[in-house]
Amino acid sequence: MLKTHLALFLVLVTVALALVLPFLLPWSYDQIDWNAVRAPAFSGSHLFGTDEIGRDRLARLAAGTRITLMVAIAAALVSLIVGIAWGATAGWIGGRVDEVMMRIVDGLYALPFMFIVILLMVVFGRSILLVFVGIGLVEWLTMARVVRGQVMALKQRTFILAAEAAGTPSITIMLRHILPNIAGVALAYLMLTVPQVVMVESFLSFLGLGVQEPLTSLGILVKEGADDMDMTPLGLALPGGLLVMILVCLTIEGERLRDRFS
Amino acid sequence: MSLYTIRNLAVDIAGNRLVEEVSLTVEAGQCTAIIGASGSGKSLTCLTPFGLTPGVASGTMLLDGIDLGNADAVRIRDARRRLTGFIFQQPLTALTPHLTVGAQLQEATMQAGAARPARRELALKLERVGLSRADERLDQFPHRLSGGERQRVMIAAAIAHNPKLLIADEPTSALDASLRAEIMDLLDELRAEQRLGLLLVSHDLASVEGHADQLVVMDKGRVVESGPASDVIADPKQDYTRRLIAATPRLDEPGPKLSQPGEVLLETHLMGVEFARPGWRRGKLQALADANIVVRQGEALAIVGGSGSGKSTLGRAIAGIGPVSQGEIFWDGLPLPERRKRSLAMRRLIQPVFQDPVASLDPQWRVLDIVTEPLRNLRPDLTRVEREELAQQALSEVDLADDFLIRIPVSLSGGQAQRVAIARAIIAAPRLLVLDEATSALDPLVGAGILELLGRLQVENGLSLLFITHDIAAARRLCHRIAVMEDGRIVETGDMQTVVENSRHPATRKLIAAS
Repeated sequence: MLKTHLALFLVLVTVALALVLPFLLPWSYDQIDWNAVRAPAFSGSHLFGTDEIGRDRLARLAAGTRITLMVAIAAALVSLIVGIAWGATAGWIGGRVDEVMMRIVDGLYALPFMFIVILLMVVFGRSILLVFVGIGLVEWLTMARVVRGQVMALKQRTFILAAEAAGTPSITIMLRHILPNIAGVALAYLMLTVPQVVMVESFLSFLGLGVQEPLTSLGILVKEGADDMDMTPLGLALPGGLLVMILVCLTIEGERLRDRFS
Repeated sequence: MSLYTIRNLAVDIAGNRLVEEVSLTVEAGQCTAIIGASGSGKSLTCLTPFGLTPGVASGTMLLDGIDLGNADAVRIRDARRRLTGFIFQQPLTALTPHLTVGAQLQEATMQAGAARPARRELALKLERVGLSRADERLDQFPHRLSGGERQRVMIAAAIAHNPKLLIADEPTSALDASLRAEIMDLLDELRAEQRLGLLLVSHDLASVEGHADQLVVMDKGRVVESGPASDVIADPKQDYTRRLIAATPRLDEPGPKLSQPGEVLLETHLMGVEFARPGWRRGKLQALADANIVVRQGEALAIVGGSGSGKSTLGRAIAGIGPVSQGEIFWDGLPLPERRKRSLAMRRLIQPVFQDPVASLDPQWRVLDIVTEPLRNLRPDLTRVEREELAQQALSEVDLADDFLIRIPVSLSGGQAQRVAIARAIIAAPRLLVLDEATSALDPLVGAGILELLGRLQVENGLSLLFITHDIAAARRLCHRIAVMEDGRIVETGDMQTVVENSRHPATRKLIAAS
């Protein structure tokens, strides 16, 4: 059990630690310990040492993981809801409506994503909300395509015809017959969307376009670590390693789910 | 000596013995047919000795003097390549989509070590299996051919290297009725001409009758009965064989006792259905034109035709689950509006049952929810308890026990699933059932059970039936009258017995010849 689901287990442990650690540690993520600037690992109350202005690494790591995963899950949920609504509507109605809706999706796909995000940042200033909007704008497109395909395949199945003959209204067919039958596939793609969003968020933060100091995310930690890597490699290795582990584990679980449902 | 002999064959897959004690022989120039329901091990028996299934075969298998049982994989492959040809059920998936017909035929010819054939030779091979414009076909890709044409190409490829044994696994099951007879006749000719031994696998006794010399009846991985085909059919020794023969509808069996139909219930007037061709502005496709049918109270009308003849389109239009472009439907003399304008009471009147019973049940729902679905929408006056009582009653009408109510579709066999689908159709007390190939996907014994059930429901509840099928013999067991369709038009209608005895239209004759 543990062996087959090692990936999921590791992710859950990481999430649990990220949630619990702030209450256990004597330091918060933005608190500066003037007595221990650039402290090495295992020094005093700083398990992984402190960064170049004396903030506890472990506390920052927990906070960064929390923010990154929060952004990822929220954006993935938004993309799930928008994607299902859009894709299911297009697939169910079909015909011209479907053509138009899917061409809109194609159009959005074609937009240069980074350009849009940078433009938004310049116009509205940096905020975590804009990171959401930027990511959400892109990530629902794949979900919409997948869901539309599934709905169109289900529409051909005769139990939908039987439901129509039984007088079931369209909205009920949608809610009770179609959505439960695409839930598995949607869940699998949700699991695959989360690591994608983690990636994008870290990327934006690394470039300095994501969340703002003193708030932190894995991307910001990686950037800080990279700036200082010749002095303390630990500062890059910790957030970098954690990021890689989260991405790999989520992708493994997501693909396992996808293989099972499709 | 026989061309191919199997003695005491057993097949194991992952430690499970799925086939045992099977013995059969195939003589050169003759046909041995294996008949059995799905899961009876008939395909395993044919394919495992040649290493074409994951199973392990043990026993004596002698092909033209080569002992396949003791041969290593290389020798088996060599024997398979030189001596045997294979034809499979799905002509669409058995041909490689990205290679032309000519390329595949050339590959098949050269597999036994023959020299590269000239184009003329390949064209001759296609002509031999009855394909017209053979030279042109060599450059075509499989998707350009119809199902029947593909199956002919498969046969041409299977015999291209002059094998001695042809193994055909359900070669006609995926084809419509009139094509079946043509393909079986072609196989007969080839076997007489080239002294081919033919090992034929089928679930359908009717399709091999008259073609097979030897018959092997299998059930649950064992041989039930075997012997010369005419003897087995005329004088079956085993109970299972007897039931199988009784279950297989035949046109020469005595006509059934049918109820007396009452007043006209449903009438269509010049009904037509058009579909837009896929893509933008490609025009329309007339799937159904000028259809006039009449169904009386308590009467069963058979709509018979090949695939693509528009019979399902007609059924769906009447049941209100498909589009109608022209014409009108009258119910009890009053016009029935299009589906969205039908009241709840009107929707209750007509209920459909579909071909694939498993696909017609929502895999996520329990049987109870499936069966009561029409009640929840069409009879909002009932309470939950009343609905469950009606569901129990409906299940007992289709001979299923109450404990089926909590089962889910995956756990049902094909026959049980079809009974659940029928229970769902009758629970709201409709007056007309539209049965779209309701028995075609089922094994003969199971299908006969469903036919019997439908006949009983019709007599007891005074139901009218619209029985859509490609199988005239099956329709004759149930129906008073028949309408034959071809290319979206009804070409012949009349009393069942009269049409079977004196058919006027060539399409009807083709369908009758195929039964």
